[in-house]
Amino acid sequence: MVVYSFYIFDRHAECIYKRRWLPRPVSITSKSSRPTSDLSIQNNGGAPAVFGQSARTTDDDAKLIFGTVFSLRNMVRKLGGEDDNFVSYRTNQYKLHYFETPTNIKFVMLTDLKSPSMRPALEQIYINLYVEYVVKNPLSPVEHPGGVGVNNELFEESLEQFVTRVLT
Amino acid sequence: MYVSNCSTSLRAQTNKTRAVYSLIIINKAGGLVYQREFHSGLHKLSTNDYLVLAGTFHGVHAITRSITPRLPLASTTTNPTTASHSTTASLSLTSPSGTTTPTASTPTASNNPNNPAANTPSSSAYSYPIPSVPASGLEFLETDKFRLTCFQTQTGTKFLLFTDPFMANIDVVMKKIYELYADFVMKNPFYQLEMPVRCEAFDRHLGSWLRGRI
Repeated sequence: MVVYSFYIFDRHAECIYKRRWLPRPVSITSKSSRPTSDLSIQNNGGAPAVFGQSARTTDDDAKLIFGTVFSLRNMVRKLGGEDDNFVSYRTNQYKLHYFETPTNIKFVMLTDLKSPSMRPALEQIYINLYVEYVVKNPLSPVEHPGGVGVNNELFEESLEQFVTRVLT
Repeated sequence: MYVSNCSTSLRAQTNKTRAVYSLIIINKAGGLVYQREFHSGLHKLSTNDYLVLAGTFHGVHAITRSITPRLPLASTTTNPTTASHSTTASLSLTSPSGTTTPTASTPTASNNPNNPAANTPSSSAYSYPIPSVPASGLEFLETDKFRLTCFQTQTGTKFLLFTDPFMANIDVVMKKIYELYADFVMKNPFYQLEMPVRCEAFDRHLGSWLRGRI
């Protein structure tokens, strides 16, 4: 199972956290692939161009993903009623998992096709990581104007551990 | 929550495991050409809302294809050890070709726009997760209450089938619907392409086939 990327959107449609994991190339040892995945966090500089995506696409991807899940969620609510939840969709290349909290924070994860439903995993991330490290942090801003986002070392580290150890 | 889900699923298996809620056909321009409900289970929308839904889905379908994750082609470049940095990659590409037999001189190769995968700093070198097939848009969508299967034909027409989430063999149903569409809509000499489907024979056969299945 491979996790490609993970996004958090707040209730103002702002992407407050994004993280991409690049699968390890087959011929490279794990030691040399570590810095590549770490570098991809800082996706504002010129680094992503090195990894096959320009900075424009990483920023735009978040917006496109938000638009997609927002439209699909509204479609699902219209057809299935207010208590219906959009869970996931898949194409022939990837799978997108979606979880929305009662406070309208949206968690989105893109994985490969072999992965099972990630709804419980996203709930775990929300309950055990986001609430514990971001919400309960008195220094963390409640709103994220101007795309400040979740800038929290503990959260990022534990998310990294959760995805690499628990999910793969 | 999971316990109640299980009990409802058991009940669902007894009476509506094969429930097809509704079918929507969207033409290649995103217009709604056919909408029919077979089982109640989803909310009824107004005709206008169905038109909006068809257009929205058409757009979302295209976006889901474009946000397919792109994986850098680090492992398949000519020199696998240099994938971590673009400048080192171009440097180390020049050094072996200078020492060994220079079949293609690196300056010309790097200027050659027809060969992007070989020498550009991997900004265009990526592959989809499953490189053997072209990326498709949304195919299955799952919610708590229904499952949406989308089948896109070669010509861009989309068939949207709303079913029970526990229904199996949806592709068989989809194939049959496409077959009926080809037989009774496309072969109807009075049918105008891209226009709403008003073919009585299609309605009749579709209804009777789905009823016969259940």
